[in-house]
Amino acid sequence: MYPKAKQAWLLLAALVILALPPMQRFLEQSMVMHMLVQIPALVIIGWITGKILPENWKDNIAPWNRWGITGIALAIIIMTYWMLPRVQDAAISEWPVELTKFITVPIMGMALGISWPQLNPIAQGVLKLEFWATFMRLGWLYLDLPDRLCANYLLSDQRVFGQLLLLAGSIWAVAWTLRIMFGIRIVNT
Amino acid sequence: MSTTEVSSKIEYSDSEDRNALIAVKSHLIAGLLVFLLMMLAGLAMRAAQGTWLEIGADLFYQIMTVHGVGVVGAAMITSTGVQWYFLRQYVKLSNGVFWTNFFIFLTGVVLILGSIFVGKYGGAWTFLFPLPAISMGAWSTGAAAVFQLGLLVIGVGFLILYLDFGRAILARYGSLSRALGLTQLFGKEPVDYKHPAAVVASTMVLIVNFMGIAAGAVVLVMGLINLFYPEFKPDALLMKNLIYFFGHVVINATMYASVIAVYELLPRYTGRPWKTNKPFYAAWFAIVFMVMGVYPHHLLMDFPMPAWGLIVAQVLSFGSGIPVLVVTGYGALMIVYRSGIKWSTSAKLLFLSMFGWAAGVIPAILDAMVTVNRTFHNTLWVPGHFHFYLLLGLLPMLIGFAYFLAGEGDSKERPKAVDSFGFYAYLIGAFMTSMVFLASGANSIPRRWAAHLPEWIGFAQAGTIAASLVVLGMLLFIMRALISLPGANNPR
Ligand code: HEM
Repeated sequence: MYPKAKQAWLLLAALVILALPPMQRFLEQSMVMHMLVQIPALVIIGWITGKILPENWKDNIAPWNRWGITGIALAIIIMTYWMLPRVQDAAISEWPVELTKFITVPIMGMALGISWPQLNPIAQGVLKLEFWATFMRLGWLYLDLPDRLCANYLLSDQRVFGQLLLLAGSIWAVAWTLRIMFGIRIVNT
Repeated sequence: MSTTEVSSKIEYSDSEDRNALIAVKSHLIAGLLVFLLMMLAGLAMRAAQGTWLEIGADLFYQIMTVHGVGVVGAAMITSTGVQWYFLRQYVKLSNGVFWTNFFIFLTGVVLILGSIFVGKYGGAWTFLFPLPAISMGAWSTGAAAVFQLGLLVIGVGFLILYLDFGRAILARYGSLSRALGLTQLFGKEPVDYKHPAAVVASTMVLIVNFMGIAAGAVVLVMGLINLFYPEFKPDALLMKNLIYFFGHVVINATMYASVIAVYELLPRYTGRPWKTNKPFYAAWFAIVFMVMGVYPHHLLMDFPMPAWGLIVAQVLSFGSGIPVLVVTGYGALMIVYRSGIKWSTSAKLLFLSMFGWAAGVIPAILDAMVTVNRTFHNTLWVPGHFHFYLLLGLLPMLIGFAYFLAGEGDSKERPKAVDSFGFYAYLIGAFMTSMVFLASGANSIPRRWAAHLPEWIGFAQAGTIAASLVVLGMLLFIMRALISLPGANNPR
């Protein structure tokens, strides 16, 4: 029980540090940091929280989350919402939106962490391909769109972000191929 | 894993087997019926080009779109039925997933039919950007979107099915390279002559189609975004690359899925086993890359394409088809030679498919040469080559399998007169249909023209007559399939 409690405190501390105004400003001043550092950090905090929830909580959730479907559906809804550029933009300018982000994104991570292992492997495969395709589609969009999507970020920022998404998607594809074709594990996906 | 374990078959419960047989038959019957309807559509197009039938240009392009997408879909669903029937004997596949794909497929079909005949979409099955968005009033943005959505839905269904294939193959063989026979090819394991050809072929199909669907998932959504947000103009050449990668892989793979019927059935009819060996593995390994690398032969006239891509495409196109064709064609000849084979309709069709495939790639290879393509690009030469190996290569495999499943392989009866008549009507009709297309192409008649110039009409009329023969043969095949298939027991 003790290590779990300690982990919980660490996670809370991490969340608070991310929310501290200087840290927040630092991470949100560029689109790349915002999207590829802050958001993933929030998701990871949620994911680990999901793993270390007390057993009786997990037992209470389980009947509502058969095969992980409810949790994944919730995660997808939250994810889709935060994929809209204008809400990310609003999070920077308006504190209630920012607060919502700091609450819902970790919840999404938690839902994913609890539900992913329970999900049917085929559904996992479909979602993985869909996530991968989303990286590629958004990367392409961010590179090619003529206008800025966010009032708060420069076009050049948007372009760099697009390139990074495409890069990440490509690395993912190679890692996946190596693993399935030859059983070589680079990262544990 | 010992050799005996690798070659042993999977056990299913009786009810699972019964359900599986119904599922395979549903795939076959649905697919063959769509083929028949699409052949009628083809006949109508040919008759319209030959001025024997009066249809407006907009309807012509709707028919052309439904024909293209319909036969590709039918080829996918029917060949998947064949593949699944054999693959499940070696790895544990789920009936539920197989059915799921079938129903998702039907949903996609409804969407696509709606987009074409209600929404009037006529931008061809290749939905080449930016055509779907600039119909000049012939169809709405919504119709084009529903068409692409239908394709996307069908892609998801197949993705689910391939994930099940992948899961089952990995569960049994550990990695796809082992299932492909690469560990044997490169000497890490002794060669196992009983390693099932169905597993090798299915692994190849699984890999390339997975990649094809992944590309499709990206490009279809980019097309959809462009439809609703025209300021977003993706790079047209990149879109074309992805579309042709997706389209070429998907239709090409149906051939490699269906050829499993040849590997599995010819040995039954000749009483000689089909042994896998190193050349066989090498051929299938090569084809994984070739099927994915040849598609730029559709882009030979796109001058901004990087030259290396086109050179690779030309070289691979020369080689593509050859490895598997050689091991399969040679294997088929060797297995049949002096075996005392009984020429049932199924055996005849399977053997014909070897000819259709082998002969059909020749015009394809010719056209993949840049110098030839300069003249033949977008002429009826192109439909000539693909109708050749689809009508005479792919369909005979599928229909041959249907005959096998209808119980013909078991019975001692000789082929009925109707079957023989159907066979020859089909053979001659299909051969003529393809040759007339090729001759038209050689005479520089363009493809995808609703109205033909007076000088070309003779060709179209000859094509119409040939097409009616195909339809007649197919009609007889279908009637036989519909009568005998539903009640037939699983052939032992
Ligand atoms: C009686 C049999 C058939 C006839 C008469 C026929 C006729 C035609 C005609 C007239 C066209 C349009 C040619 C043009 O561009 O002017 C066409 C296109 C096409 N056909 Fe067929 N066809 C037949 C069977 C098949 C089958 C069995 C397949 C595939 C398995 C097939 C696949 C295609 C494809 C992919 C196209 C291209 C559509 C496009 O350009 O968008 N056809 N066919």
